[in-house]
Amino acid sequence: MHTATVAHLGAGGFRVVFSAEESTATVPAPGNTAEAAVPEKSGPSPIAPEKYELIWALGAFVVFALLMRLFLFPRLKKGMNARYGKIRSDHETAESTRAAAESEVAEYQSALASVKAEAAGRIDVARQTLETERTARIAEANARIAVRKAAAVAETDAAMAAARQSIEAAVGSVAERATELTLGKRPDPATVQRAVAEAMRSGVNS
Amino acid sequence: MFALEFPPINEVIRWKDVFSSFNKVGIIACLAALIGVTVFLIAGRKDPMVAPKGVRNVAETGVEFIENQIVMQTIGEDGLGWTPFLLTLFVFIYLCNLPGIIPILQFPATARMALPLFMSVIVWLIYNGVGFKHHGLGYLKSSLFPPGVPKAMYLLVTPIEFISTFIVRPFSLAIRLFANMLAGHMLLVTFALLSNAMLFAETKQYMLKPMTILPVFMLVFLTTFEVLVGFLQAFIFTILTGVYIGQAKHPAH
Repeated sequence: MHTATVAHLGAGGFRVVFSAEESTATVPAPGNTAEAAVPEKSGPSPIAPEKYELIWALGAFVVFALLMRLFLFPRLKKGMNARYGKIRSDHETAESTRAAAESEVAEYQSALASVKAEAAGRIDVARQTLETERTARIAEANARIAVRKAAAVAETDAAMAAARQSIEAAVGSVAERATELTLGKRPDPATVQRAVAEAMRSGVNS
Repeated sequence: MFALEFPPINEVIRWKDVFSSFNKVGIIACLAALIGVTVFLIAGRKDPMVAPKGVRNVAETGVEFIENQIVMQTIGEDGLGWTPFLLTLFVFIYLCNLPGIIPILQFPATARMALPLFMSVIVWLIYNGVGFKHHGLGYLKSSLFPPGVPKAMYLLVTPIEFISTFIVRPFSLAIRLFANMLAGHMLLVTFALLSNAMLFAETKQYMLKPMTILPVFMLVFLTTFEVLVGFLQAFIFTILTGVYIGQAKHPAH
């Protein structure tokens, strides 16, 4: 038979023995449980505060609190504040440096833009000058070409006229001789010349 | 046979005196103060202008935690002067809670009533002192006769406010801390004793010893949980102190 023996050790303590043998407990409890009565040991209340615990704990706390208030915390906090102040001032310095750098960049960009505008203006002026010069040179060249062309045309015309006269004279002479040989009398040179000139004109035109 | 012996409560929550009138609670309280002082002393000696690390980082984190999470939330900027006191309170309570899971010590000093009680009394004195300092006798008026309540209701509200503000608060502070830490300690003791009893039981029940894993698992889990409970109880005690001081300073809120 399984039994459980409970023995009170006093002041909340107890001992439970589970056994498969018969219990040796003096006072059996309901069911399989037997309870052995042991006189209660007297002791201090587990809840009530003890005077010496109060004194030691209070003393330790008060010393800690005073040291913290007067020495430990102010020193630590002073260091923290100094570091935070330095970080804040470093941030402000970095911020002002960045602002100065940004203003310099803006200034540079504005100068660059004005230089670019000036360069573009100069390029435009140069381009216009070049264009004007080019136009003038082209006109001058065209004029020279026209003069030379006119001279060449005149020269060609003169040469053609001279050649025609020479040809007409030669053809007239040949025609006079041929007519003379054929008819036995010399034709009027003016008439031959006129006929040759008409024949050549019509031949050239046709 | 399987025997489980739970020792008397005084053996669980007390220790033999080192010498007359100096027991485990005194040792833990003195150690807590000593560790706290040492940590902040070392932290204060480190170069404050370089990025904090190690002990200084811990100390500064504690200061910022108290300032940002407690003082600014409960009292406001004009309460920053209370940071050293609240920091001391938090660190002291936490360091008194922590030995509950530290081998050899294995007992939170706050699981005895002395520590929570005197700290609650100090807090009670401080917040009432702050109230009288800032508002004189008007503090009593604003505490006992909250504005905006119909006059007839004062018959009911005033006694409740008196009991709540001047009597119950210190007890609730003390008992909350004491009971939580004692309960945690008792749970750890229970599972430790159960693990021991199951592991060394003289029995033919072959499944009993492998089953020891269950109370051992609970013991490990509760030990981890006690780290959180220790921190949480220190935080609750400190933030409630901040709330009480804030209410005494700005009763209209």
